[in-house]
This record gives sequence, structure tokens and C-alpha cells, in this order.
Amino acid sequence: MSNLLAALRLELFLSRYSLAAKIVLLAPALVCLARFLLVWLNQAGQQARAGLIGADSFELAQAQNAYGHFVDGMNTGLTILALFLVALAAYDFSSERDTGTIRHVLIRRAGRSSIVLAKLLQLHILGLLSLVLLGLAAWAGSAFFWDFGPVVEDGFELIGEDEILYEIHLGLLMAVIPLPAVIAFGMLVSVAAQSATQAVTLALGATLAMDIFKALLGERAWYLYATFHPSLLDQSYLREVSRLVRGFSDVLVEDRFFVFNEWAPAVSLLIFALAALFVAQRRSL
Amino acid sequence: MNASEPALRVRGLRKRYGDVAVLHGVDLELPAEAVFGLVGLNGSGKTTTIECTLGLQGFQEGEVSVLGRGPAELFRLQGDVVAIFDSPSVPPHLTVRQCLEHARLLSPRPRRACAEVERLLGIENYTRYRIRQLSLGNRRRVSIAQALLGEPRLILLDEPFNGLDAGGVDQVLDLIAELNRETGASFLLSSHQLPYLERVCSHVAVLHEGRIAASGGLRDLLADSGSRIVLHSTQSGLAMQLLENDSRVTDLERLSSTHLKMRLREWNSEQLVSFLVEHKVPVCELIRQRASLDNFFRELTAGGDS
Repeated sequence: MSNLLAALRLELFLSRYSLAAKIVLLAPALVCLARFLLVWLNQAGQQARAGLIGADSFELAQAQNAYGHFVDGMNTGLTILALFLVALAAYDFSSERDTGTIRHVLIRRAGRSSIVLAKLLQLHILGLLSLVLLGLAAWAGSAFFWDFGPVVEDGFELIGEDEILYEIHLGLLMAVIPLPAVIAFGMLVSVAAQSATQAVTLALGATLAMDIFKALLGERAWYLYATFHPSLLDQSYLREVSRLVRGFSDVLVEDRFFVFNEWAPAVSLLIFALAALFVAQRRSL
Repeated sequence: MNASEPALRVRGLRKRYGDVAVLHGVDLELPAEAVFGLVGLNGSGKTTTIECTLGLQGFQEGEVSVLGRGPAELFRLQGDVVAIFDSPSVPPHLTVRQCLEHARLLSPRPRRACAEVERLLGIENYTRYRIRQLSLGNRRRVSIAQALLGEPRLILLDEPFNGLDAGGVDQVLDLIAELNRETGASFLLSSHQLPYLERVCSHVAVLHEGRIAASGGLRDLLADSGSRIVLHSTQSGLAMQLLENDSRVTDLERLSSTHLKMRLREWNSEQLVSFLVEHKVPVCELIRQRASLDNFFRELTAGGDS
């Protein structure tokens, strides 16, 4: 345990001075805020146009509801966060093997398992901090540009705020649950690859390929893979929530899929992490 | 582990990369408090031996004990063993000072302050430079500085002089001698720079084609190999006839039509000259080749690509 803590301290020390770690920490929140600004500018233009031609619609009214923008911002930020995390995880171990710095830790401070576990923990801490920053930025940004409220049409409340918040909570949960598996997948590629360049290319390529594979399956993927499998990045449920909180959808996932989606990423995480530990024990450093 | 036990013991180490055997049963014993040189031609297996010893690579057969521990559990020695590799293994995005602070976290019992080792290695003016901005020599200094922050009992250095200028080499050799004298730390140095090793090593092993060709105290090895005499004479054929059956001369060989090389037993060079002159052999020049690690190594590995 003390070796693991020592290895974690070393990882956190390196993260403090790592540009890649700072990008992972800040980029999702910054991109989310940039998205809000662009959407707000676009809406301002549309509103001016609607005012000029005297048009008004339900869509334009709903576009002012901050909940939808909050969900869209989180969706964008989470996609970026997942891609950055898989790339950073793939780079982490392999780059230290390339430079040889991992050898010093191995000889002087911690065993191979402790090093891999410390890296996984450090990436989870980084991911969690980034997620908190993203959440704060998305909430504050959407509140700054728009107003939170229920979905209303012709004076009638179609969807109340309690229901909206409940669905957002579920959507975010579904989108965030696979992140540990994403990190563990990147780490597995990192310990198995021959170089850092190979690791990052392979990890990003495989992640995107799985996403494309799932997209090719279309609607069948919904039933076969319960929304996100085999993709690790899927936020299709969050996209549905985005439509729901704007009053455009009431089709949600069945409970059995929720249960599956809650457990399958944990199994993926376990498989990837154990495989990473196994490979790290056996390869030359 | 007590002081009389070797700092490092390797028995019958065998290593293959696929079908290619690299080490064919290496035996090494590094006495405690010794400065041990591991020399060999390119591809002789020096780095592989060190990496197997440190648990960085697996091996098929053999036993390795480093300060009483197996290679997979060196980290349990908590910094008693440190290594400096042929390429300076330092995080390139850190500054020199950050790099040393990172290395302090590697040492549970740091003995020196960062500023002190910076002064020792002459890198105090580079503390704010990032590692990637440094020359190879200065990166090498940083990696050596990292090793000196703690109080290691065994330091393994793989090609430690690569990239260092003459002043840097002197600095490193002085440091090794001083640390060995003051703290009793043992050193294993793997290098091609034989004159440097000769200056600092108490023991040497020659690794040739995956086997230890010679091993022991440096003085003993060089004394056994003895010094060589090169005779330059216009009548070298006659000299050869006279000397080839003389028991006071060994290892006689013809270098060219005018030069002979030999080793003398119970005889000195003045006696040799008198003998040759008596027998009407003109002596143009007599060169005494000092017994050196370089000569010793060349003899052992003759026919190689050194």
C-alpha cells in the first residue's frame, strides 16, 4: 500500500507540470463554454431574423431554455474528455517507457502493479477534476446565456423541472459511467504498445473505430449493445435527454438497458485493468 | 545482508531474444564496496546483463541477487539500489530542479539537497532549463545528480561517460571514487571507455559473446597479463630464431618484417638488449607496452569488432 501511495505521489508530481494533464483538465470546460458562446450568437441572429419577419415558434421559445444547452454542453465536453483521457492514458505509461523514467520508479520505489494502479488512479483523479470543472462551466455558462425553467407550450407546462433534472441526472450517469473503462482501455494499449506514438494512435483509432462500428449497426445497436457497447464513447442517451428537455422526445430507454449499462462498463473496466496489469508484469521496460 | 556478502551476485544467467541466445550463463560477483567495471564489445550483452539484474527484462535461467533481493523486488530496498542508463532517463518536460525534486520523492531517505547535487555536478546554472533544452552531457549530469540525492549502497551505471566532456568525465570519476571511499557504496560501471574504467575500478569482468571471459581484481588481472615489449630490428628474423626457444621469452609474435612482440619472464629489457647485441642483432628501438585494461581487453577479445 505504501508503494502504491509513493507511486501515486510521483504521478501527481509529474501531472502538476504536464501540459497534457492541464489540457485534459481545462479543455472540456473551455470547449463547452466556447460552444455556448457560438450557439448564443447564432440564436441572437435567428431571433433578430424572426423579429424582422414576424415569425415566432415553439422551437425558438425552447431554444431559450438553459437545460437543453446545459445537456448539449455536457455532451460536447464529455466526448472531448473521453477522447483526451484515452489518449493521455495511452501516452502515460508508454512515454515513460520511451524516456526510461519508469525504470527509476520500478527500481527505487514501487513494483509494476503499483505503478500501473497509481497511473490509473491519477488519471481517474484528473478525469474527476475535469468533470467537476466541466459541470460547473456548463451550469454557469448555460445560466449566464439562458434561463432554466420547465418546458412550456401555449402556457401549459409540458415537462416539469423535477422531471427534467431527473432525466439529466440519468443521462449524465450513463455518459460518465464508461469513463473509467475508457481510461483502463487506454492504459492497456499503453502497456502493450512498443512506443508512445503507437500507443496514442492505436488507442484513439480503436476507440473511434468502435464508435464507427456501432454507428454502422444503426438502430440494431440499441438492442444488441444496449446503447454504448462496443463503443466506449457513446452518449446517445444524453442526446435523447437533450431532445427530451426541449420537449421533442419522450422515448427513453427501458429499465433493463439501464441496469445493463450500469454494470457492463464496470466489467469492461475490470477486464481492461487486469489485462493491463498482466501485460505490465511480463513486458520488458 | 552483511558487509562481507557481495553487493551483487549473478549465477548462470541465460537470456534469449526469440531464437537468439544473448547470455550463455553469465556469472558475476560484485564484492561489497567495490568499483566493478563490466567491459565488452558491442553486443556482448552488458546492457542486457544489467537490465536482467535490475528486473527490467526477464531471463530464461539463472539466479540474481542484488543486496540480498531478487530483481523483481528491488523497490523494497527503498532506494538502496540506483541505476543510471545509457540514455539519460529523465522526464523531458521538467526543469532540472523539478527533475531533482521528482527524484527526491524516489528516495525515502534523501541525503543531499537539490542545490548541493546541482553544485556537485556543475549544473547549478541550468536549474530553470527544461531537460529537453539541455545538451546530452548536461542531461547525463542531471541523471547522475538524481542518483546522488539519496544514500544508495549500490549504483549501476551503463555507459556513464557517453556525451560527457573531459571535465565532466573527471568530475564523475572523482565523484565515484569519493562516494566509494566515504559511504562505502558499491558501483557497477559498464563502459567502452577502458582508460576511464582503469582509473577508478577495483574489479573488472570482461563479457565476451555472452560469457564472462575474465573476472577479478584489476591489479591481479593486469599483473597476470604482464607488460609487453615491442622490438624494432632490421634483423628481426635472426632475433626470432634466437628468442623463440628461449624460456625467458613468452608469447613471441611477429608484428611485421621489422617488429616482434613478446613478454619477458625473469628478464628485463636491458638484459634482452645485451643478449641481442651479443648475437649481432641490431636493436633500432625497444618499446615497453604498459599492461593496461585496453591491451588486456584487446587480447581477450581478439578477432572481435572493437
